[in-house]
Amino acid sequence: MPDAIRCSNVTKHYGDIRAVDDVSFEVHDGEIFGMIGPNGAGKTTLMECIEGLRTRDTGTVEVFGMDPEREVRQVRERTGVQLQSAALPHRMKVGETLDLFAAFYQNPADWRQLLSRLGLDGKADSYVEKLSGGQRQRVFIALALINNPGLVFLDELTTGLDPQSRLAIWDVVRDIRDGGTTVFLTTHFMEEAENLCDRVAIVDHGKIVALDTVANLIASIDAESRITFTVDGTPPVDRLKEVSGVTRVENASGRVVVHGTGNRFQQDVMSVLSDIDLNVRDMRSEQPSLEDVFLALTGREMREGQPT
Amino acid sequence: MTATTKLVSIQTKRSVREPVGVFFMIAFAPLFAIAMGLIFGNDPQPEFDGRGYLDANLVSFAAIIIAIVSMIVIPVDIVTQRETGALRRFRATPLQPAAYIASDVVVRFVLSLLSVAAMLAVGTLIFGANLEGNIVNVLLAAALGILAFLAVGYALSAIMPTAGVAQLAGNVLVFPLIFLSGGPVPLAVLPDGVRDFAQYSPLTQLVELLQALWSGEAWHENWVPIVVLVALLGVATAVAARLFRWE
Ligand SMILES: Nc1ncnc2c1ncn2[C@@H]1O[C@H](COP(=O)(O)OP(=O)(O)OP(=O)(O)O)[C@@H](O)[C@H]1O
Ligand SMILES: [Mg+2]
Repeated sequence: MPDAIRCSNVTKHYGDIRAVDDVSFEVHDGEIFGMIGPNGAGKTTLMECIEGLRTRDTGTVEVFGMDPEREVRQVRERTGVQLQSAALPHRMKVGETLDLFAAFYQNPADWRQLLSRLGLDGKADSYVEKLSGGQRQRVFIALALINNPGLVFLDELTTGLDPQSRLAIWDVVRDIRDGGTTVFLTTHFMEEAENLCDRVAIVDHGKIVALDTVANLIASIDAESRITFTVDGTPPVDRLKEVSGVTRVENASGRVVVHGTGNRFQQDVMSVLSDIDLNVRDMRSEQPSLEDVFLALTGREMREGQPT
Repeated sequence: MTATTKLVSIQTKRSVREPVGVFFMIAFAPLFAIAMGLIFGNDPQPEFDGRGYLDANLVSFAAIIIAIVSMIVIPVDIVTQRETGALRRFRATPLQPAAYIASDVVVRFVLSLLSVAAMLAVGTLIFGANLEGNIVNVLLAAALGILAFLAVGYALSAIMPTAGVAQLAGNVLVFPLIFLSGGPVPLAVLPDGVRDFAQYSPLTQLVELLQALWSGEAWHENWVPIVVLVALLGVATAVAARLFRWE
């Protein structure tokens, strides 16, 4: 598969801070590639080095085979950028903003179509600053798509949005990928990476500590899943312990937690429970997540939005 | 339409939509002329050698407004845009900084010139201020002054770290210039030393050029202020071009 981005040994310092530390990876054409990591991990810095908005100290970056620091214009023509922190000048209307940005490029998209594709029909005459957070975010996505880019960078596009807007934006991002544009995004939300990304890089202290599909990342740490339930009566603790894959069974006054690994163990636990003649209530199953992957790889929690 | 013409059109709309911006950029000067006309009138006064208050002071106040807008209002606006990351988004496009700056200068220049023209129109047509020279000459001199002070404003914008500092620095620079300009305080009442020193102020030079052309003197009789303003324009443009930052 050809690669939209290739980085090798990219390093960037701010004074003494090593924000990006000898990073090498590729983003394949046509995928949604995500970077997750705590605040200050270096995600934005790395992304901006690839966009050509920051000068890297060392290493090579290729975007569609071009160096973004040398072939600035061609790279700008073929990529779209949504910055983590960017406003627009005040008192600009949505339509005229898109119309203006379209004039900066050789092959602009039809901005009216773009607006309706992003669910912003009827907003062309609204001021950008008067839109809701989710609508404004869509305008910035529209700006990132105004030149029909082959690759789009989305830096924390759902931070600060309510869950419903976030889900809607996910659909937009999938739609962009399905239209043939490669998506390179960063996020704080494990859930977002799990639901949206074809592949995920976990970034910590300026380094990529793991990179794979979400399923492979989770499988790689061999973490336990849990099944929790309540029974009226004595739970079949001994039978549950014999199920293959089960590592541990806790029982605290009727509330039972079964720990285990592997793909089949949950199913086997279920069949034990359906054999017995007891009322099973409040059953919950917890799968290992990227959160556990981060914990296993770094020894720290990566809580959403919390500085570490 | 090219990017630059589109930028000019959007910058114009933005300026007009910003109430404070409109006030300062277009309406403030003519309103100021109306206020002066209502308060002082334009009857002949002995202290102005038989001329009226507006005859003697209208163009001085035009020059002062040019300085305030260029050295305070515009730098605060530009630095605020930079601080909020508003110009950052432009940097991520193929747009050339020169195209952006050109459009910004065009809009601010035209608005300032319109505002001065409106002020002179109010003074002469409503309050009967007596223009002895040629209005085209006066407006050309105002245009030169606007360009020179705009360049100073862009240079200040490039240097100032924050909007607050830009506001403070603008005030600290402009008010002494106004005091020394001969506008609100006649230079004749100042001590000799201060009066000589005032001649080094570009605002004083602009006031003197405008007053000379207003009262019918020829350009060649006023080469000193012209040289001063052109030199200021050159130096400030060089500084601004070298130090311009998107963010
Ligand atoms: N312009 C700058 N000047 C100096 N230091 C900076 C600058 N930008 C970022 N840093 C530092 O570099 C490190 C990486 O920052 P970066 O913004 O790349 O992290 P991030 O992973 O994007 O964080 P977040 O999730 O909060 O957006 C941090 O320690 C930050 O303080
Ligand atoms: Mg970031």
